[in-house]
Amino acid sequence: MSTLGRRFGIDALAERWRLLALLVPLLALDLGVFALPMGYLLRISFAARTPGSAFVEGSWSLEGYQYVLESTLVHEIIAFTLVFGVLVTVLSVAIGVVYAYAARQASGWQRTLLLGGAVLSLFTTLVVKLFAVVLVFSPVGVLNDLLLRVGVLGDPLLLIDNLTGAVLAQLYIVLPYSILAVYAVLSTLDEALVEAALDLGADHPRVFREVILPHVRPGIAVGAIISFTWTVGAYAGPLLLGSGSERTIGVLVSELLLSRFDWPAAAALAVVTIVLVFSVLLVALLRLDTRGGVLDA
Amino acid sequence: MRESPVGRVFRLLIAVLFAFLILPLIIVAATAFDASGAVVFPPEAFSLRWFGVLLESPDWMRSIANSLLVATGTTVLSMAVGVTAALGTRRPDGSVGKALTALAVLPLFVPGIVIGVTLLTFFSRFDLQGSYLALVVAHSLWATPLTFSVSQTTFARFDWAIQEAALDLGASPTRAFLEVVVPDVRAGLLVAALVAFVVSLQEFVMALFLSGPDTRTVPVQAWNSLRQGLDPLVSVVSTVLLVAVVVLVIVGSVAVGIERLATDA
Repeated sequence: MSTLGRRFGIDALAERWRLLALLVPLLALDLGVFALPMGYLLRISFAARTPGSAFVEGSWSLEGYQYVLESTLVHEIIAFTLVFGVLVTVLSVAIGVVYAYAARQASGWQRTLLLGGAVLSLFTTLVVKLFAVVLVFSPVGVLNDLLLRVGVLGDPLLLIDNLTGAVLAQLYIVLPYSILAVYAVLSTLDEALVEAALDLGADHPRVFREVILPHVRPGIAVGAIISFTWTVGAYAGPLLLGSGSERTIGVLVSELLLSRFDWPAAAALAVVTIVLVFSVLLVALLRLDTRGGVLDA
Repeated sequence: MRESPVGRVFRLLIAVLFAFLILPLIIVAATAFDASGAVVFPPEAFSLRWFGVLLESPDWMRSIANSLLVATGTTVLSMAVGVTAALGTRRPDGSVGKALTALAVLPLFVPGIVIGVTLLTFFSRFDLQGSYLALVVAHSLWATPLTFSVSQTTFARFDWAIQEAALDLGASPTRAFLEVVVPDVRAGLLVAALVAFVVSLQEFVMALFLSGPDTRTVPVQAWNSLRQGLDPLVSVVSTVLLVAVVVLVIVGSVAVGIERLATDA
């Protein structure tokens, strides 16, 4: 019975190889332009510094890390970046949960509008978003203009070129990710559970706390991870809408790389950033036990 | 049913949040239609004048062409890689499939600035910084996990017994794929391609580091203008981008519904 033999022997093996062969392009992309360049960055972080001319080819040194460890400026910037990351993440997730819940509760065109708004914001380039934040929140912007004209304010509020501006800008960038991450999980919630809780006499806030919040935990985790990662790596928002004291690691890395041409220091700082981000991710994943869900999103 | 005070406050809060998400973008679009050279809202005199100026600006037109080119390249590359990988992990092979999924999504969790810096140092070794290739592969690092996962979801909804039937009836694997599988999963794959295109179109930080004077994309060009002050052309370009995204979102919604677009993307 050669057909049967082929079906269960050689064919199965060939099929296995064919499936594996399909994974080659992905492996090639991720190894070739992700893992390999990361390795190269790691190598440069261990090269000797010669500020002004990239790095000393072929040299080995810890000067890059020494700079990161010893400079108080770097410490301040790292500390600020982490605080900034936590602040934006908390706001982003809190607002994301409320908004996603509202979208879930809404029906018909209202739900379409709320979701459409989040998707449009998600798909809009960050430069346009930052431009929009400037137009609305600057001292001569639309919001201050309106408040001054109505007479609520005597003087314009200073909402940009400070911490508020940096937070507003970054929040505006990451919020749609939180909303949609939470919504994706929320949309799998069985409506009957909510109905049952309501029928049993719980009011809406209580249903929210005791039925909905526990269900959306994986969505919250994904939203928080994205918000935090992106904010710790924030560059454009703090640069355009913050002041000199809202400098993030990203701003410093680009300065070291492009203006001071000090590659080992820039590389070392980038490596430290990746380690920071991934430690936080790891802790978050462990806290989520092995419930999964995070990688599927 | 009468609404409770809490409910009313909640509604107001949602309205404010929705306004925070959307109004600034609408205001940007509105400023594009003002006749004056200053960026003002509300517009004082309606005019399409700046759209004309945009069409005649070689720098901006070049950046628009660059953006379209890079986004198309990214879509093709990330679809080729993502769809093949999704087909390869169709029958989950336990640890291999899991490890691969983890590897595929990893770049999404590395800040854009770090990828930008890394690829800039790496590509300058081969004199590829500022090339279209550099931009396309960089954007594909972010687009591929998305095309991969959207394709995976799409293929999971497909009944593979139909494809096996085609194979048993003598169709070649390629023919079975193109004539049996593709027609059924078209909408899902369209969304995957759309997402890849938009990811590239809107990506800024990596492009800032990796593009050169000739390969600048629209976000980079807009950033350079913004750093020098408010420019009416940025309003105009933003409007064009916003309209493009709205059209794409509508296309996606028609293909699979806003519900799936919002949860898949």
